[in-house]
Amino acid sequence: MGDHGQKYASDNDMNLKNSFWKKNIRNLPGRASPKKESKSVSSSASTSFDDFQESVSDAWEIEAEDEILRISAGECADSAHPPASSCYRNRFPYDVKISKRVAHSAAVNVINSHKASIEEIHKSKHYSNSDPQGESSSQAYKESRHTENRINFSNSEVDTNKLTKFQVLLESNLLQLEDLKKLSWSGVPVEVRPMTWRLLAGYLPTSSERRQQALDRKRIDYANLVKQYYDTDKDEVYKDTYRQIHIDIPRMSTPLFQQTTVQEMFERILFIWAIRHPASGYVQGMNDLVTPFYVVFLQEYLPIGTNIEKLDVSSISKENRDSLEADSFWCLSKFLDGIQDNYIFAQLGIQYKVNQLKELIQRIDGTLHGHLMKHGIDYLQFSFRWMNNLLTRELPLRCSIRLWDTYLAESDCFATFQLYVCAAFLLHWRQELLEEKDFQGLMIMLQNLQTQNWTDTDISLLVAEAYRLKFTFADAPNHLTTKR
Amino acid sequence: MGTGDEEYDYLFKVVLIGDSGVGKSNLLARFTRNEFNLESKSTIGVEFATRSIKVNKKIIKAQIWDTAGQERYRAITSAYYRGAVGALLVYDIAKQLTYQNVERWLSELRDHADQNIVIMLVGNKSDLRHLRAVPADEATAFAETNNLSFIETSALDSTNVETAFENILTEIYNIVSQKQMRDPPEGDTIRPTNIEPIDVKPTVNSDNVRKQCCQSS
Repeated sequence: MGDHGQKYASDNDMNLKNSFWKKNIRNLPGRASPKKESKSVSSSASTSFDDFQESVSDAWEIEAEDEILRISAGECADSAHPPASSCYRNRFPYDVKISKRVAHSAAVNVINSHKASIEEIHKSKHYSNSDPQGESSSQAYKESRHTENRINFSNSEVDTNKLTKFQVLLESNLLQLEDLKKLSWSGVPVEVRPMTWRLLAGYLPTSSERRQQALDRKRIDYANLVKQYYDTDKDEVYKDTYRQIHIDIPRMSTPLFQQTTVQEMFERILFIWAIRHPASGYVQGMNDLVTPFYVVFLQEYLPIGTNIEKLDVSSISKENRDSLEADSFWCLSKFLDGIQDNYIFAQLGIQYKVNQLKELIQRIDGTLHGHLMKHGIDYLQFSFRWMNNLLTRELPLRCSIRLWDTYLAESDCFATFQLYVCAAFLLHWRQELLEEKDFQGLMIMLQNLQTQNWTDTDISLLVAEAYRLKFTFADAPNHLTTKR
Repeated sequence: MGTGDEEYDYLFKVVLIGDSGVGKSNLLARFTRNEFNLESKSTIGVEFATRSIKVNKKIIKAQIWDTAGQERYRAITSAYYRGAVGALLVYDIAKQLTYQNVERWLSELRDHADQNIVIMLVGNKSDLRHLRAVPADEATAFAETNNLSFIETSALDSTNVETAFENILTEIYNIVSQKQMRDPPEGDTIRPTNIEPIDVKPTVNSDNVRKQCCQSS
C-alpha cells in the first residue's frame, strides 16, 4: 500500500485536501480524533499515506459508509464542488472543460439517490445515525483495525450488522432492488452472497413468493437447453466453438478446475452461452468470467469456510451440481448482456473502452500518461486483458469476487464503471510505473502487477477511487472528448 | 524487473503465432525464463517478454510478442505484427488441424506483416512421439516450398527451444548486417518501432467473419 501513499503524497496534495472523501470525514462519528484530523488537513506538505488512510479509513466501516453519503447530501453545495472545480483546475490548468453546473448537478443527483434509499433502509430498521452507541461501536471497530492489520471481517461486529441488514432485505416480501444494490456496493457478506448475486443479476424476481418457483423453472429451462444443444450431435457450425472451448477449459489451473466434473460443467455453460449468442460466440477468457459465479454458488452447498481447493465436486449431489451449473449459466448470461459489445467481431467494445481509458488517464494524470507514451506503451497492449477478462487475470479470485459485488450492484450496468475501475487500477501503480525507465520494464510490470496479497480492503479502496473518478468525470459532457 | 539497463547492439521484435493450445506461451516461458507450465492459461490479447543472446559477438535483444491463438483475436493481434522482423509460426505435431491452419497463418502474415519478415515454422510438442500426427518430412517439404526455415521443438523437455530462437535471431541478424553493409545505416542500432501508434483495421476480413455469423444464427 506504500505506493498509494507515494501516489497521494507526491502530487495529490491539493487533490487530497479538497477531495470529496476528505471533506466529509470531518463529520463522521467514527472519526478517531480531531487532533489527527487537523494535522492531516492543515499541512499538506507533511501529508503521508498514513494520514490519508487514517482520514479515509472511516469510509470503509460499513456503517459509516452510508453516512458519508447522507452527510454529504447536506453539504453537497460546497463539498461536491471542489473536486470538480478547484482541485482539478489546480492539476489541469489547461484543459478542464467540465462545467461547474453539470458536475454539481451530477453530484447532487448521485448523493440524493443514495440518500433517499439509505434513509429508507435506516427507517425500516429503526436505526438512528445519531445514536451514540453506533458511534462508539464504530470507534471500537476502527481501533481494532489499527491493532490488527488484516482483520477477519466475518467476525467483526460491523459485519454482523451488515449481514442483518441484508437478511432483512432478502426476507422482505417485495425486495427493493435499489436498496440491495446500495447495500451490496461496498461488499456482500459471504453468507448471503449467492442469493444476493442472483437478485442483483436480475436472475430472480424481487417478489420473494415467486422466487423459488422462478428458480425451479430456470433450472429446468437450463436442463432442457443442455439436452437440446449439448447432448445431441453438435451441428457442424458449432463444432469449432466446442473444439475451442475444449482446448481452453483443461488449461484452467488450480486443482478445483482440474476435476473432470468441473470442466464438463464449464464446457456446457460456455458452449450453450456461445450458441445462444451468435453475434459474439465464445471468446477465449470467458471461462474466467464463469469462475466467480461458479465458486460463489458452489459455496452454497458447503459449510462456510470449506477449502474449495481440496473439494471433490463429484461428492456434491447431482441435483445440487445441476442447480449450481444452471445458476452459473443464467447469471453469466445476465452479467454479459451488459457488455456484449466487448465480445463481438474485433472486440469493438473493448477497443472503444481502451481508447476511453487512454483519454481519461491523459486528463487525470498527464505525468503518467506522458511517461507511458514516451516509452511507446500502447494502452491496448496491457488493458485489453483487463477489459476482456474484467480484471480476473490481474486479481486473486477472492478479490475478483469482492469486485463483482460492486459490478453487480452498479445500477446502470457496470460497463461504464469498469472503465473507471481500470483507470483507478492503473493509477494505483503510478509510482512503480514512473520508476520504470524503459518499454520492456513497463510492459513486464503492467502484465504482472503484484496483487497476490490484496484483500477486500484493497478492492474497497480501488472501487472508491473509481467511484470518485466517475463522480468527477462521468456526465461531464466533454470529459472524454477534449483533446490536447 | 530491470530489463532496461542492459546494453544491446540490436533489438529485434519477434512474434509467436499459431493456433491456440500449440504451446506458444510455453515456448516463450522456456526461452525467456526457463519455465514450463502444463496448465498455462490461454493468452488474452498479447503478452510480452524479452531475452538477450549473443550472435557473432553482438548482443541481440529479442523482444518477443506472444499472441492469442483464437481466430477471433486476430483483429487485435495482427496489430502487433507491425515492426516485427521475425515470426515463429507454431503448430502442434500431435494435432493435424493446427498444421493445416499454417497456411492461414502465413496469409495472415502476408496481409499484416512486413514483406521481409523472417518466418520459422515450428513443430512443437516433439516429446509426444507416440501421438505424432504430422510427419517431420511433410513439414520440411512444406517449409522448403514456402521458403521458411523449419524446426521441431519441445517446450516441455526443452529440446531445440534455444536453437529455434537462436536460429531465427541469427538469420535476422545476418540479413540486417548485410543490409547495413549495403546501405548506409541510419544509426548504430535497430530501434524498436513500437512508438508508432498501432492502428487496428476492423474491416479486414470482416466479410468472411460476417458470413460465418449469418450461417450460425
